[in-house]
Amino acid sequence: MIGIVVGSAGVYYVFNMPHRNISKENAVYTLEAKQLISDFKSDEAVATKKYLDQAILVKGEIKSVRTLDNHSMVFSLEDEMEGVSCTVDSADVVSNSSKLSQFVKGSTGTFKGRCSGMLMDIQVINCVPE
Amino acid sequence: MNKLLLLFAFVMVFFNAGAQNRFFTKDAKINFNSSTPLEDIIAESNQATTFIDIEKNEVAFSVLTTSFKFRRALMEEHFNENYMESSKFPKAKFTGKILSPIDWKSEKAVIVDVKGELAMHGATKEVTFKATITPGKSKVTATAELKVTPEDFKITIPSAVRDKIAKEVTIKIDAVYAPYQQ
Repeated sequence: MIGIVVGSAGVYYVFNMPHRNISKENAVYTLEAKQLISDFKSDEAVATKKYLDQAILVKGEIKSVRTLDNHSMVFSLEDEMEGVSCTVDSADVVSNSSKLSQFVKGSTGTFKGRCSGMLMDIQVINCVPE
Repeated sequence: MNKLLLLFAFVMVFFNAGAQNRFFTKDAKINFNSSTPLEDIIAESNQATTFIDIEKNEVAFSVLTTSFKFRRALMEEHFNENYMESSKFPKAKFTGKILSPIDWKSEKAVIVDVKGELAMHGATKEVTFKATITPGKSKVTATAELKVTPEDFKITIPSAVRDKIAKEVTIKIDAVYAPYQQ
């Protein structure tokens, strides 16, 4: 009987397990956006292997700030086209609004997020400002 | 004087060549739906990068597979680890051509046929689909819908869960392009 209860609780938990909360994780890599860009530009495959899905803390000059129509925000570090794009989800935009309001074009921003790889830019998602 | 005229002509040609023929966005929306009566499976990414070349009528898309968000974390994990193998194949790409004639100066929505190659999970397949494109001087919008079969991309779904995942997955694309300045 106890086994059934524990077992079904386990199944229930796994089935409904929460999404990763990057803000509560420790960053595996802490680095400058410029370093991340040069790592990806010199060997994308190696950099993808190293950074993909890891929690990283990245710092750089904010070159553009955009709000998407789902209310998430994208901060481009070092270069608007080929830099590091840090996306802050809408819920985190609300809970970090005072910090994010200081992250204007030209200022230096630090974000913790999950690296999802490179297209033209290197994408870091589920970001929170540090 | 002739030289000056030549220089002027040259400059004019140069600037014309630089006229807007490419549109792009990094925030295109792609979602897919492989729901069945047994399970709702919907995922979305807002981080697709896409270009349209209105001179060559070419279109290109790319998206990182780990940028897709699912309602259930477990589904997201299965999607990335078991099905898409995102660490091995981090991107999905489409490159193709707009086959139907399109008047890029009209600013009127048109339905066009698009044909090209879709690559993901290490496999490439030719796909054709319809897209609705609204041209404009400062903005081009496009929406499209296509259906793909996981097995066409060598994605094997265990028989235990096969009935929970639709045989055909519907992919929807929604993009608002801006002129591309380099």
